[in-house]
Order: sequence, then structure tokens, then C-alpha cells
Amino acid sequence: MLFSELILVIMKAVNRQRTISSPYHLIKGKKSGQTIQDIGYFGLYPYFGVLPKLDKKAYDQAVQRLFSEGYLLVNEQVVDLSQKALESDIAASPLNGWKYRGKENLFFNRLSLIVQTFSHTSQQIKIFDPIVSNEDVQSWVKKYLKRIGFRDLAVARAFKEELLITLTETEISETHKMIVMERLTGSGLSGLTWRQIADSKNLSLLDVQLMAVEALHGWMAAIERSKPPLLIGLMDGIIQQSSLTETAQRTEKLFGQGFSLEQIASLRQLKTSTIEDHFVELAMNDPHFNYMPFINPTLYKAIIAEGRRQETKRLREIKEHLPEASYFQIRLALAIRGKQG
Amino acid sequence: MNLEKLLQSTYGFSSFRPGQREIIERVLAGEDVIALLPTGMGKSICYQLPAKVLPDSVLIVSPLLSLMQDQVAQLKKMGEKSVVAINSFLKPEDKEKIWNTLSSYKFIFISPEMLVQPFVKRKLGQIRISLLVADEAHCISQWGFDFRPDYLRISEILPALNFPQVLALTATATDKVTEEIKKYLGLKEPYVYTHPMDRKNIVYDIKKFEDGRDKVEFIKEFVRKFNGPGIIYAGTRKKSQELSVLLTEQGISAAFYHGGMEHQDRIFVQQQFQNGELQWICSTNAFGMGVHIPNIRHVIHFQLPTSIEGYVQEVGRAGRDGQPSLATLLYAQGDEVLLESLVMDDLPNEHEIKAVNRHGVGATHLIDQGIVRETAFRVISYWMTQLPIEGVISQIELLRSGKRLQVSKIRELIGLEGCLRSYIIQCFDQQLNDKPDNCCANDRINYDVFEAFSYSKEKQFSLEWQDRLGAILPI
Repeated sequence: MLFSELILVIMKAVNRQRTISSPYHLIKGKKSGQTIQDIGYFGLYPYFGVLPKLDKKAYDQAVQRLFSEGYLLVNEQVVDLSQKALESDIAASPLNGWKYRGKENLFFNRLSLIVQTFSHTSQQIKIFDPIVSNEDVQSWVKKYLKRIGFRDLAVARAFKEELLITLTETEISETHKMIVMERLTGSGLSGLTWRQIADSKNLSLLDVQLMAVEALHGWMAAIERSKPPLLIGLMDGIIQQSSLTETAQRTEKLFGQGFSLEQIASLRQLKTSTIEDHFVELAMNDPHFNYMPFINPTLYKAIIAEGRRQETKRLREIKEHLPEASYFQIRLALAIRGKQG
Repeated sequence: MNLEKLLQSTYGFSSFRPGQREIIERVLAGEDVIALLPTGMGKSICYQLPAKVLPDSVLIVSPLLSLMQDQVAQLKKMGEKSVVAINSFLKPEDKEKIWNTLSSYKFIFISPEMLVQPFVKRKLGQIRISLLVADEAHCISQWGFDFRPDYLRISEILPALNFPQVLALTATATDKVTEEIKKYLGLKEPYVYTHPMDRKNIVYDIKKFEDGRDKVEFIKEFVRKFNGPGIIYAGTRKKSQELSVLLTEQGISAAFYHGGMEHQDRIFVQQQFQNGELQWICSTNAFGMGVHIPNIRHVIHFQLPTSIEGYVQEVGRAGRDGQPSLATLLYAQGDEVLLESLVMDDLPNEHEIKAVNRHGVGATHLIDQGIVRETAFRVISYWMTQLPIEGVISQIELLRSGKRLQVSKIRELIGLEGCLRSYIIQCFDQQLNDKPDNCCANDRINYDVFEAFSYSKEKQFSLEWQDRLGAILPI
């Protein structure tokens, strides 16, 4: 998937109900209530945080190009997709941002250092400059290599074989696979910079960076499926146990201990609105979330009905007709419904 | 003790490079030492080897984070495990562990700003330190091209450490700077080792143009005339990218390198260059630290350097293997005017001094708000803790005239009709002995000694990922 296609896919999903900056926050993985909530409303799980270092300028340029090429149309307050955009055929993507949460970098750093080590040791070279300078990764890899008995050439061969098999199984293009390979380093053969990879394939920086994330998400899923004995070890600590953000987990714990929303806010020295965001996130993720402490059932039903009637997820429009409901209550109710629908 | 034997068993080298033995002997004799060794002459061995003999920890104050990281990496690469680096990037959970086991480390690297924190000072006061190493000691001098106010604070910690033995290391220092190192580190009668600054195998060339655009044409021709490896110091990030594209279009393998790239990409470029996968690096002055490539044949300065010291340091990355190397400085009319304003813009201006004076030295929001630049803020706030406001202003005036002097030296170098080498050496208060045959632009350069250009047989990569994996893991 190209970067411009990523923007289009997201804009299609939010269906004219969000501004053009919402894909930006989603792609960057912003942990605000709005972004987290939209993920549930519009089913944007795959795209969450896939390019956390995305530069606003680069994003704006890509958006401008979509306008000038006639994919996006300005229509009063909302951004419309043109027929051309709606009909564009965008290949299915293995992206799974909500699940992997940027941990693909950890996976790939481990892999890079292991491959670099095998490349050297299997050619009897004992000293080299590690390609990954992060000490946590270094010590993890040291332990891992010791555990699998890396000096045994048969182990190195088995590792390579697992790489070949799992990556072959992964359903992504050959270009995707090559990009990942080009980021690996061996003895006398260094990894390539994003710029070098992009230029050689006539793609943009963002395109190849996004494709690398796609490739890794697809590859990691393939490894989780087939569980090859050596590679599965690299998934250690990669798969998020809870799909909640860490901060929302803390709020959930305190709430479970009987603290009220306001008490949690003062305990954690956070704004009430932040804690409200956490509850919206909880509501989205927990099928048994109980809204009763926050909304009475009559109001809950009224909000849902109003949302249905107006066919909208725009908070302001609902609020206009239901002034007695707070924004928090509307968001909470929609989060629960979004999940069910 | 047999130092050669120790050298052999620790590093696998059979003999010392010039200067190392003298410095190490004095250090082991318990003297304070100031050592001026050109880059690439093995400065770090001067404290690493004594550490094998000295009973307690060696504390190395290192002003540059990247330099610190590189030295730690080098030590670890040699199998040294007892190393710790203390800087502001430490994670809280690691800090705790480090403080509790501090005395167990042989090598403790620390940044100057960490050094003076009261807690750190106390912790360091509790352990035994055999030797304090001030690396890049010229940073202590306000006259130096690399002045770092924080570095002056080393003197504040000496009493807390009970005045340990000191080794000050630097690659570049004039007599004036040496005097300042002595003064600020409180060294009464140090042994001063001065290595001749002159690198005989480096030939100094200057090319002058009327128009800046002619420089680009020159580079185009140059890279098809000579083989690398070479570094082109481009001046700005943008220029480094442009030049790299220019070279690539010529079919020359080149990449750019600057501080705006992500960390992993920078490592890739370094390794490609180290492996000979690249002929040319087009970079800002960010490239060089921690680069250990002996056979760099060319260093080209696309823009005027900001000081002779900086120039010599960058040029010094060439020819570490002793083979002939060429330093080419490109100049176009008007460059010196640009240089002057560039250098002067770096200094804190009146407006910034007033702002810090009004809001106090803790007012870092001035940086965030873009009212005072970060470096300017550091310089002003340091002096404000030392002097009344009038003193700060005159101090910065002094800095200004120092900078002006640096620029005028560069200007003089450009306009010189005599020997460039001899002029450069004199800037370090040394005299030129044994002028080499192939010397400098003003003395007819014999270019035949530099390897002529040939299309290198670049490794041809197929487009299949399986083949690349096979090349990385040929097993």
C-alpha cells in the first residue's frame, strides 16, 4: 500500500465525518480520546500508529497531492472523496497497528542483530560493530543466541531456513519482502537507508517506510501462525496482552478498586477529561462495560436513537438535540454502540 | 613493568605509536599530563592502558554524547565489560543500579552537565578514582573553536574528588589553549606532550572560483578524475543531499550523511563507507566522530570551514594509513563574507543577553519560545552564574573578537601566497620542519600520486530478496 492509499483508505472509512487531519493522528498513533474512540467507531484498528514518526509537513504534502490529483474534493466543511478515489482499487493490507503497537521495530531490531551475528560468526568473524546500539536489545539478543546455541552452524542454517519459509508464506509483494531484506546487514554488506531503497524503487520515503511496516506485520502474523521453533522466540514480549493503552489500564484498575472518575483524576494528577478518554477506550474494548455509573438508561437510549436518526457520529449534532447529555456521555454511548454495530 | 607486553596482550599491537609511550609512562608515574595528539593517533589508549595497572576507577569526562557512545562501544568491542556511561539519556531504572555499583566499574564515562549535579558529585566523592581524564580538553577554552561552558565546571568537582590525578587529552590546542587547560583544571606542573601537528602525507590544495556554481562543476570533474574513498564536507544538510544526488547521477557511488537522518540510517551509511560499498560521503560536520577508516584519500571542503582548528580536525580524517591524501578547499568570491556572518550569528546577541538577564538563568522557556537559541542560552547562563551582567557582556565581546580572529585566519589562509602547510602549523604555535615534496597548492602539487578514477566493479545485486538473504547468510 502506498502512503497516499493509506490516507484514502482512512478517509473512506470515516465517511465524511472527520477532518483531513484525523488520518494524521491515527497514523501517528496519538493516544487522545478522539483518536482511540474513532478506531472503534470506524474500524480503523489496522492503521493505528503505523508511522509514529510521521512528519506533519510530509503528511500535508501527500494530502495536497491527493487534492491536486483529484482524489479529494473540498466541500464546505468536510472533505469529500471523488469518484476516482472511491473506485480506486487498493490492495488488502496486512497492517495490524492496533495489535502490534510499533513493536515491529523491536522485532526487527532483534532480527537485524541476530542475522548480523550469524552472518559474521558463520564466516568465522568474531568482532564486528553491532548494527543495533540499543543495550536492551543487545542483551536480549545475547541471551537468545546463547539459548539456541548459535555457534552451531546447523542452528544458523535452521534459522535461515525459517526466515525463508515464513517470509515466503507471508502474503505480500516481492517488493515488500525485498525492502525488509535491504534493511538487514551482514558481513561486508550493509543495510540500505530509506532514501537509497526509495530511490532504487522509484517510490517515496513514506511509501517504502509504510511498506516495511506492512511487510513486518504480515511476517509477524505468519510467524505467530506457524510457530517455527527458532523465530517464534523473537515474538517474546511483542504481542500486547491487553489491547488497552497502558494509561487506560491504570485507570481501569483504580476504577475496579472503587474510586470514582473524579477521584482517579486527582489521584493520578490528570485532567478529568483525560480520565474520561480512558473510560471511552474501556467502553470500546470491553464487551461487558457497564455504562450505568455514568449515564442513566433513558439517556443512553436517547443518545443512541439520536445518532441513528441523524446517521452521524458527530458529537455536536447529537448534543444540539440532546442538550442534557454531556459530551462525555455521548462519546461513551457511541463507543458502546460502535462496538456492537 | 613491560608496557609493550601489556599493549600486545590487551590490544594485539606490537608497538606504540609516537607519543603514547611517553604519555602512559608519565601517567603511571602519577603525574598530571596534558597530551596533544592529532586525531587518529590513538588517544584513548593513553588512559585505557594505564587503567589496566591503576588500582581504582578511571573517570572520563566527555563533552560529546556521540563521542562517549563511540568510546564505550569501542571498549566493549574489545571485550571490556566494566564500562558505564552516565549521561542525561540514562533511564531511571538503570541509574539506580549504576549508583549502587559505581565503584565496581573500571571505566566511568560522564558528561560535564551530569558531573556537577550535587547528587552525582556526592556519589563520585564516595568512590575511589585513580585518574580523571578530560577528553577533548580544548572544549574548556573559550578561545577554542569548540567552547562548551559546561566543561569549565570540571574544576568545580575536583575538590569533591580530592584532587585526583588528571590526564587532559586533545587533538588541537594552541599555547593559549594549553595554558587555559592548566588553569581551569588546576594543574600545577603538568607534563605536556605535544605531538607535531603536521601530517606529512596530507597535501593541502585550494581551488578558487569566481562563481559558487563553478564549485559544483569542479566536484563533478574531480570525482571522475580520482578514486575515493573521500568525504565532501558540504556545509549544510541540504547541500549534502544535493551533492550526493549529483554524484550518483554521474554513476559514482555516494550517499549523504547528516544529523537530520534517523539513527539507523546514519549507521548504515557509516558501515557502507567502512565496507567500501560507497566511494564518497557528502556530509555536514556531523560525520567523522567515531569513524575509523584508515584509507580515506580525499577530504573536500565545499564551504569554508569556520576555524583552522576545525579544518585541521576534519582534514585529519584522511590518510590515517600514512598513504598520500589530498585535502581540497573550495573557495568562491564572497565566501568569506558569508562565513563571517555565519560565525557571528552563532554568538549570543544583545537581545538574548537582555532576555536571559531579565528572566534568570532558569528560564529555559525562552528557548522553547524561540526567544533565545539553545547554545546562546547555555553560554549566557553559564557566565551569569560567574559574573555580574557587565562582566557577561564584556565576556561575550571577548568571544566575539575571538571568533573574528578565527575567521580572519581562514581569510588569511585563502589569500596566502606562501606555504599553506607552514601557515596551518603556525596557527598551532609550531614550526614546520621537513617540508614534504608534495606539499600544497602554492608549491605545485603532484596529483599523480593519487589513484586515478576507475569505474569500480560495484557489486551487482539481483532484485530477488532470497538472493540478498543468501548473500547476508552464505551458509
